[in-house]
Amino acid sequence: LSWSSIVLCLDVGFAMGNAAPGEESPLEQAKKVMTKFLQRQVFAESKDEVAVVLFGTEGTRNDLASGDQYQNITVHRSLMLPDFDLLEDIQNVIQPGSEQADFLDAIIVCMDLLQKETIGKKYEKRHIELFTDLSSPVSEDQLEIIIANLKKTGILLQFFLPFPVDADDGGGGTSASAHSHVHRNSFARKGITEQQKEGIHVVKKLMHTLDEEGGLEEIYTFRESLERLSMFKKMERRPVAWPCQLTIGSNLSIRIVAYKSVKEKVKKTWTVVDAKTLRKDDVQKETVYCLNDDDETEIQKDDTIQGFRYGSDIVPFSKVDEEQMKYKTEAKCFSVLGFSRSCQIQRQYYMGNQVLKVFAAKDDENAAVAFSALIHALAELKVVAIVRYAFDRRCNPQIGVAFPYIKDAYECLIYVQLPYMEDLRQYMFSSLKNNKKYIPTEDQLSAIDSLIDSMNLVYEDDDGESFEDLFKPSKIPNPHFQRLYQCLQHKAFYPNEPLPPIEPHLLEMLEMPCVVKERCQAPLEKVKALFPLKDVGKKKEDKTAQDIFKDNNEGGPNPKKPKAEDEEGGFSIISIAEGNVTSVSIFLQIFFLSQQLTNRIDQFLENKGSQYYMKGINCIKVFREEAIKLSKVQCFNDFLQALKSKVEDKALADFWEIVMQGMMAIPFFFFFLVYFYKLSMM
Amino acid sequence: MSDWVSYYRSEGAEEEDDEQEEGAEAVVEHKFAGRDSLIFLVDASKAMFESYENEEVFTPFDMTMQCIRNVYTSKIISSDRDLLSVVFYGTEKNKNSADFKRVYVLQELDNPGAKRVLELDKYRGDQGQILFRDTFGHSADYSLGEALWACSNLFSDVRVRMSHKRIMLFTNEDNPHANDSAKAKLARTRAGDLRDTGIILDLMHLKKPGGFDISLFYRDIINIAEDEDLGIQPHESGKLEHLMKKVRAKETKKRALVRLNLYLSKDLSLTVGVYSLLQKAYKPYPVKLYRETNEPIKTKTRMFNGKTGSLLLPSDTKRAQMYGNRQIVLEKEETEELKRFDLPGLVLIGFKPLSVLKQHHYIRPSQFVYPEEALVKGSTTLFNALLMKCLEREVLALCRYTPRRNTPPRFVALVPQEEELDEQKVQIAPPGFHLIFLPYADDKRKVDFTEKVPANREQVDKMKEIIQKLRFKYRTDSFENPVLQQHFRNLEALALDMMEPEQAEDLTMPKAEEMSRRLGNLVEEFKQLVYPPDYDPDRRAVKRKQGDGDGQTEKKPKTEISRDELRSHVQKGTLDSKTHFNMSKKTE
Repeated sequence: LSWSSIVLCLDVGFAMGNAAPGEESPLEQAKKVMTKFLQRQVFAESKDEVAVVLFGTEGTRNDLASGDQYQNITVHRSLMLPDFDLLEDIQNVIQPGSEQADFLDAIIVCMDLLQKETIGKKYEKRHIELFTDLSSPVSEDQLEIIIANLKKTGILLQFFLPFPVDADDGGGGTSASAHSHVHRNSFARKGITEQQKEGIHVVKKLMHTLDEEGGLEEIYTFRESLERLSMFKKMERRPVAWPCQLTIGSNLSIRIVAYKSVKEKVKKTWTVVDAKTLRKDDVQKETVYCLNDDDETEIQKDDTIQGFRYGSDIVPFSKVDEEQMKYKTEAKCFSVLGFSRSCQIQRQYYMGNQVLKVFAAKDDENAAVAFSALIHALAELKVVAIVRYAFDRRCNPQIGVAFPYIKDAYECLIYVQLPYMEDLRQYMFSSLKNNKKYIPTEDQLSAIDSLIDSMNLVYEDDDGESFEDLFKPSKIPNPHFQRLYQCLQHKAFYPNEPLPPIEPHLLEMLEMPCVVKERCQAPLEKVKALFPLKDVGKKKEDKTAQDIFKDNNEGGPNPKKPKAEDEEGGFSIISIAEGNVTSVSIFLQIFFLSQQLTNRIDQFLENKGSQYYMKGINCIKVFREEAIKLSKVQCFNDFLQALKSKVEDKALADFWEIVMQGMMAIPFFFFFLVYFYKLSMM
Repeated sequence: MSDWVSYYRSEGAEEEDDEQEEGAEAVVEHKFAGRDSLIFLVDASKAMFESYENEEVFTPFDMTMQCIRNVYTSKIISSDRDLLSVVFYGTEKNKNSADFKRVYVLQELDNPGAKRVLELDKYRGDQGQILFRDTFGHSADYSLGEALWACSNLFSDVRVRMSHKRIMLFTNEDNPHANDSAKAKLARTRAGDLRDTGIILDLMHLKKPGGFDISLFYRDIINIAEDEDLGIQPHESGKLEHLMKKVRAKETKKRALVRLNLYLSKDLSLTVGVYSLLQKAYKPYPVKLYRETNEPIKTKTRMFNGKTGSLLLPSDTKRAQMYGNRQIVLEKEETEELKRFDLPGLVLIGFKPLSVLKQHHYIRPSQFVYPEEALVKGSTTLFNALLMKCLEREVLALCRYTPRRNTPPRFVALVPQEEELDEQKVQIAPPGFHLIFLPYADDKRKVDFTEKVPANREQVDKMKEIIQKLRFKYRTDSFENPVLQQHFRNLEALALDMMEPEQAEDLTMPKAEEMSRRLGNLVEEFKQLVYPPDYDPDRRAVKRKQGDGDGQTEKKPKTEISRDELRSHVQKGTLDSKTHFNMSKKTE
């Protein structure tokens, strides 16, 4: 993997700011495309460097400017990693100018910039991305020189225009017409000026000369670019090679190299920062140790030793002793223990969190031949290797399976971990086929048959060999990250606003394909009619108080989890307080509870529905009573106010009404009553 | 490189994110937990100490004690909070709270521990049998009803909350009170009482001459758990392995990770339980002890502002990430909220042939799905119909899976599994769907593959011979985790003041000698075929041996040597020159 150097070259000439009523101006559209592109780069933590060159600016700032040459062209930002400052610039600083400039001149400035600023840098490709509406006069004088230079330096050029280029002269060659389906947008070509027509002509000439085959394919409309860029791209990681030797017995080894090929990508972890200063360094943690007695006598860390449970016994076992006596992995290894029929390894027994692809070592044809013999022998015998695998001396050894994987382009072994005896849970489940109660009728079975037919996602092509799969999860970006980036991006610009709603296109991606949805309606109705399903009472709210409050325990001053025997989701605050908070003041207790309750109530309210409302109300009632007992009414009032604003945010007027009724029904003391009325008048 | 290391170093110790997820599931699992409790009720009358027709090494009693010990040690590793107890009946001596004759409570219901394991070990083997006779004696004059009563007392004496109570009865007598209808009646009454109080009574019947006939007596005594009904009783056990299998299938109470709806459409859903049949067993976390007294201590972590020193409450902090040179700050709640997509559930997307499931698209251990009739009646029939049809048509159900609120969805393949019993009628595969997690685009990585150099027919065939010599039958329980075993043996040694821990055999190490013996000359022959004589895989590559595909092999003049000839060459040690010659030809 290596990185690219990219110049975003944007026309800010006065015509770019003109918009038809109800439409966005070409400049706004171009800025959107650039923003999307840069956001993707930022969240993918790409190492591509980006520069911005504007043309049509009032002023002039570029290395080539002299006299009346290269005027109104500004190098807005040199080649560097894109960041939020740049994104903000694009959003707020870059505005349509009052001048105009020749886009061919701008290209020359960009080429000059790329040449100068990439000296001594490693890059794979250099790009110029030009955003313009082609409204400015253009002089073809230098066209030949530009073309020759682009070819010579290998700099790639792409155009982004507000309209498609191929509609105006009825198609110029096959590539243009092949391309036209992409441009099936409603952009009226009628509004195109003579100047723009000339511009189009120059662009086409330029691109066609650069690359007769595909040059015109490098001209995009703003709209299609936006669609393509709407997904955040995944972070590319450099594959890390793990060199080792595959051994079969003590005398046969083959040099191999392994890579992780599938591993669940985990997000970056969150840093905890001080809510006021927003600084990480301001948050510090300390751990105190204390005896389990009534006074919680504090003791020094040095007075503690380490121990382990052995059933009912706790065995003191110092770190030093543990280190000395523990199992030691001798060295990294990939040792074959034996071979088993491949059907003896069932997929549901895969363990661990990754898949390795194992190849012969690079540049060692002897190893490659030996390895190939192993792969093909395994495949032909339909057997797999059972392997002891240790990443290195410090790591625990694994048992795993290595099976052959033969493609046209390459062949390899695929390694996945298998369970140890200790990892198995041998559960027994009641028989389904030996219980007459649960045997479906013929009618029921045929209804399921038609359901399966109608919801089939894979079609065999006519040739009977290839398949069309309507729904491939492995092509879908993880919605968690898409959502995370969307939220981060939003918060970067609007730190004080709530999170935006999930983008509809993201949700759509997770749904059943439309064709299937329509097709399965009738069979679903049939299944529904034939299989009586009866809700036996409400699903028990399977939440204990521990569960309810666990979100907030993290990082709090007391990691001890509250004991809660109650399974019904009802609870007494005091019992929680006692179990939960042992060393902080009553004030803190109450404060905690209000935090926890707020979150809990939030959760209840997410599930709009009266039974959740009632749970919420009960929480509030209990809190109020306890607050009164402890004479900490202010806490409760603060809490209520916070709640009110939350409720308003979420448009839950009906819930608030119930709260009010609930509060009225119980007499409580004057102070609160007054306060509450005040609140409800707000 | 750092990437690799950071993961591996943390294995078994602390894995940041993954660990948290697993931790969260563990919480779900133990949420309602009281403790599981299990009494081993063991027939100690004479017949249990006699080998069956001398064909088994172990007496029925010996097998029983080994099983029990095994459960003890595995509980210590996997769930040391569960309560276990051992009760003998048919002994001469007695010890129990109600002073029933012929009932001896060896160990009350308590956590398994080192001393208790050691005590069990005393009664193993021939020496153990003698010790048992001398200590407890045997008597046929027992009452099974009283033994059951004593068990019931043990349960009620326990003060902690128990979620699951079970008695496993080990005997090889199929009609204990054939001549005493009063005792038989009492046993039936007590068994009925147990049933009424929700105590499961399993029969672990052992082989006896003439066969064990359940219908004579035990059919009315045993009480099978509703969720473990196979509609058929397993056979009597004549072998330790088989008894172990029966016991293991029931020793842990199964608990659903989560119960949720499986939506066929928005308004059509059944309920299922999701189970995990695989759960990585980790070395437990250490506990902190006070040096003076070895008593466990509490740790409390406080957050405070480094500048002002004031205590920080969770609400005084926010969460941040850095991107594009900017720190982006969210509320803690918002970091949870952004993970919220669906309510918990499995949403059906459609069906696909099983064959499209890629073997190497794996990201985390599978789970298991079984219907939950208690929430939506009719779920089991619909589930069964889906299962039957998916099996028949060899299709999988693709679903979107949200196990909990604030958990982003993942796509899973529900792969049907047919129920399977072994010859002794013990379930080895339960009916239901395996839930296989599928990767997203982000989870796949590009790799830098090595150009292939195809081996020729002869080379492949030689490797096949090697493979054939080293075949064995893989079973999921073939390998113990050497790290865990060593850890617990160390603890055991320390707990029991043993001089040195028992050394566990490391089953993950290749059996080098055995392999060499089986392979004989094959390895040398293979090396001759693929490696040049001066090639040492421990060092850098020297030069190319050969690497043409099968097509070209035909043309080679050298392959005129038959395999037998080749073998004799190898044996005489004359092959070197020939292969060498051939090789130099190829490399031109």
